[in-house]
Amino acid sequence: MSGSTRSADARPRAGLSVHTGRRLWLVFFLAPATVLFAVFITYPILSALAFSVYGWEGIGRRGFVGLQNFARLFSTYPYSGLLVNAFWHNAVVFVITMLLQNVVALALALLLARGPWGTRLYRVIFFLPVTLSLIIVGFLWALFLNPVFGIVNTLLVASGLSALARPWLGDPQTALLTLTLINAWRWLGFPTIVFLAGINAVPDEYIEAARIDGASEWAVTRHVIFPLLAPAVTIIVLLTFIGSFNWFELPYVVQGVSGGPNRSTDVLSLFFYRMAFGEVDTGLQDIGIGSAVAVLMFLLLVSVSAAAAVFLRRREVELA
Amino acid sequence: MAVSRRWLVGLIALLLVLSLYPAGASGQGAVKLTFWSWRVEDKWAYDRMIRVFQQRNPGIAVEFVPFRATEYNTILSSALTAGKGPDIIHLRAYGGLETFTAPGFIAPLDFETVPELKTFSRTILEGAKGRKDGKIYGVPFASQTIVIYYNKKIFAQHSLTVPKTWDEFLALMKTLKDKGVLPLANGGKDGWTLEVLSGAIAPNFYGGTAFFDAVTRGQTSFKDPTYTSALARLLELRPYMHANFMGVDYATMQQLFISEQAAMFIGGSWEIGFFRAQNRNLDFDVFAAPPLKAGQTPWVSSFNDGNYGINAKTPSMEAALKFIRFTATREFGQMFTDMLAQNSAVPGVVIKDPVLKRVQELNRKATPYIMLVGFRWQAPTGSTLLQSALQAMMAGTKTPEQVGDEVTRGLSVWVDSFRGR
Amino acid sequence: MSAPPAWGGTERGGPARLRGWSPATQAVLLANAVLVLAPMVIMGLSAFKSTREIFQNPFGLPEVWRLENFSKVWVEAHFALYFRNSLIVTAASVAIILAFGAMAGYALGRFRFGGGDFLYLYFLSGLMLPVRLGIIPLFILMRDLRLLDTLWSLILIYAASGLPSAVFILTGFFRTLPGDLDSAARIDGAGEWLIFRRIMLPLVRPALVIVAVYNLIPVWNDFFFPLVFIQSDRLKTLPLGMTAFFGQYYTDWATLFAGLTLAAVPVVALYVLLSQHFIRGLTAGAVKG
Repeated sequence: MSGSTRSADARPRAGLSVHTGRRLWLVFFLAPATVLFAVFITYPILSALAFSVYGWEGIGRRGFVGLQNFARLFSTYPYSGLLVNAFWHNAVVFVITMLLQNVVALALALLLARGPWGTRLYRVIFFLPVTLSLIIVGFLWALFLNPVFGIVNTLLVASGLSALARPWLGDPQTALLTLTLINAWRWLGFPTIVFLAGINAVPDEYIEAARIDGASEWAVTRHVIFPLLAPAVTIIVLLTFIGSFNWFELPYVVQGVSGGPNRSTDVLSLFFYRMAFGEVDTGLQDIGIGSAVAVLMFLLLVSVSAAAAVFLRRREVELA
Repeated sequence: MAVSRRWLVGLIALLLVLSLYPAGASGQGAVKLTFWSWRVEDKWAYDRMIRVFQQRNPGIAVEFVPFRATEYNTILSSALTAGKGPDIIHLRAYGGLETFTAPGFIAPLDFETVPELKTFSRTILEGAKGRKDGKIYGVPFASQTIVIYYNKKIFAQHSLTVPKTWDEFLALMKTLKDKGVLPLANGGKDGWTLEVLSGAIAPNFYGGTAFFDAVTRGQTSFKDPTYTSALARLLELRPYMHANFMGVDYATMQQLFISEQAAMFIGGSWEIGFFRAQNRNLDFDVFAAPPLKAGQTPWVSSFNDGNYGINAKTPSMEAALKFIRFTATREFGQMFTDMLAQNSAVPGVVIKDPVLKRVQELNRKATPYIMLVGFRWQAPTGSTLLQSALQAMMAGTKTPEQVGDEVTRGLSVWVDSFRGR
Repeated sequence: MSAPPAWGGTERGGPARLRGWSPATQAVLLANAVLVLAPMVIMGLSAFKSTREIFQNPFGLPEVWRLENFSKVWVEAHFALYFRNSLIVTAASVAIILAFGAMAGYALGRFRFGGGDFLYLYFLSGLMLPVRLGIIPLFILMRDLRLLDTLWSLILIYAASGLPSAVFILTGFFRTLPGDLDSAARIDGAGEWLIFRRIMLPLVRPALVIVAVYNLIPVWNDFFFPLVFIQSDRLKTLPLGMTAFFGQYYTDWATLFAGLTLAAVPVVALYVLLSQHFIRGLTAGAVKG
């Protein structure tokens, strides 16, 4: 195979990599990032995972205990229930975020793609919450949703909807949904911009061709734009999945480390943090259990993301 | 290309700037002790007390570094595990202390090295001991009691007096509610405030220390109807809290009482100084949660709030011991109580604050704050189980019997006597 | 899809992709804009009010525009000091992320070699793992490297955790560049570094902007790592300084809002300045991954 395929993905052929000089350059280009990443991310995380096979006394490490921590996690009350509960909440958050945040983002992107007045301004505005610190976001919304002082309930009562003026963050039935909505408020701009960029990247020719054939705007959207948005959608789905299962800062700031009320907002990261570091005024740490949770999270995220990455690559090759 | 050159220049400039700041201090001469705590609010008082110590001990400098309570454990755990950490450590009591003492991170003390400890009350010292070896690991700094705060002005306005029985208490709250005043500031969003609530109300119904002894000795469990019926009493308070009380968190509770929008606040004696600081005009006092029948002296839950300890690996043990002994002196205790309006654990301190004095009187019939004192030794702690179960109970999704069930079941992991109950 | 990267789109004045917008479209977009801006505006306005006013007049303009809230934050919260520290940490981290990320992305995107796929996935794995999990070993590591209580501990961790996204985005961009771009330069005898710096890098500038913006937001706003690694007050970053307010002033909403607003302004302002480049960069093919 000669290097004559001039597609966008062409690269120097395999034969060139034998060249020692090229090899050295590759090492030079790759080394800094690889080393930095290995030392400060991979090594600590693997060490922390290794903690799961040791026994712990408070914060002191004791001997090797094999899979005992995992056995405890899966079979003892209340840990088994808490694990399932937390995992379920992560899954719920993922689904709701996909349905509410990402669908709305797509709709907004489609609207913006029509180029109405103020498009440029809207694009900037919609992304603004993404720049805010989660402490600010969490704290602000906790204040707005405060049943005594908050403006949300004041507004609801004032507009005659006082039946809806509930303790949104305090009711075990509505707390998780409310938190997910706050999260969506903060992140909405991101998929909106990504989708918009994807829509704008669709080549003119395809759209013109469809229009010449007499397709309506909706048909153009469905049959030309949507398929070509596939890569953007895949990325957003993957990032949403990762974000949902890693969710930590917002529930931590708004509901506290216990994932209350009554564990209704408990998610895997909170459960891990609680077990690894204890809860102030409440619970003690159990580093063995915490590390076991970390291992499970790791396995889950790695396997799903690896599958997704492989899928992404295959898709890319197909589309090219 | 200008872009990458700019990076390099920027990077070099940053390196130069950073290099101007050497890591860590290099103190010569004076011994420097760091003192970590979670009491961000009390820094001003500690700084003053430290100044007194430094004047007496010219070669020693102490730096008080507080961290946010919610992250304190993380920071302390990481630091101690890595072999670093402060010289003087503000530690929790009971199980929260055991976490650090069992692996040997804290230096044990005894009556020889800190003779002042001999005068401390035995009950308070229980919270400073490691359960594994029974040694003392710190100087207790305060005892806290759970009481009911009330706004005297509001009570006077409605001609109300301190209730002597439970029914009087309910009637009082009904009167307030009918008159449009929010009787109770308490809420349920922060689980630990519900545990505090139970610490105020329940002891009178489950029989105080007798029950505590029975349950810690394994003669009964939390499934005991004595205990669950005591928890059921909390449900009677619900109509008198804010309509959406499940969303009312700790800070909001405090706001309601301080801004005089609520007549009463059920909480710990640590609030006194805070209430005064936030609203100088707030005219308040305390009473104990009333018992069912008239004539009985009510129980109040009480506990050791924490201890000052020494890092086992400190390079300046001698200086640290001097400071620790200082915290056990009556002088320190007096300053502590005067400035922070909290009940210093040091015996013989004269209390000047009238409300705190009242707390001290109520403390004559103190019972251990049951979960903290008896059941926070291992995970899952009694507190962690009780708090989320109480949230469910107050939200109406669980019965008191189910709460007792859950707590007993969860605790049976490490409380042998609870197994099979 | 063999089309060249779409640098333009509506950015350069081309026609909108879809046709036909109605007043309904405007209404929806306007409603969303209000929903997005309202909380931030309320935060900003509250920063100028007194605590009492915040509760009693949450929506209105401040009676008196209290600048003393801000001066209290500036002085008592050492805002200037924390701001400088945040600036140093963020700038250094982002610089390292861009430099190392571009180098790695270039190698992974332009050359096929044994282990290339593995390395790519290796970096991607970092996207999904919360570094928080490794906090205790990290602390021990920093102690051993004598980096505890220095800004470098933060910079290195942030740089390391920003690499996955940087490699992901930059590899994608480098891949889309035509294959014969460098052959002319190689024939002329140009070295690898020169090709990288002068030819490849400028072409991925939009990606660099995306990576920079994408990373500077979480780095600037992070409070967890400074909390654990920084003990000296003179080295604290802004979010950490602000959280101390929670203990001290948690009912002093006025000062709190002023602090939160001040802490938000830098990143918001920076984003507003960079937004055009950022959006242009996203349009230019980041979505192809």
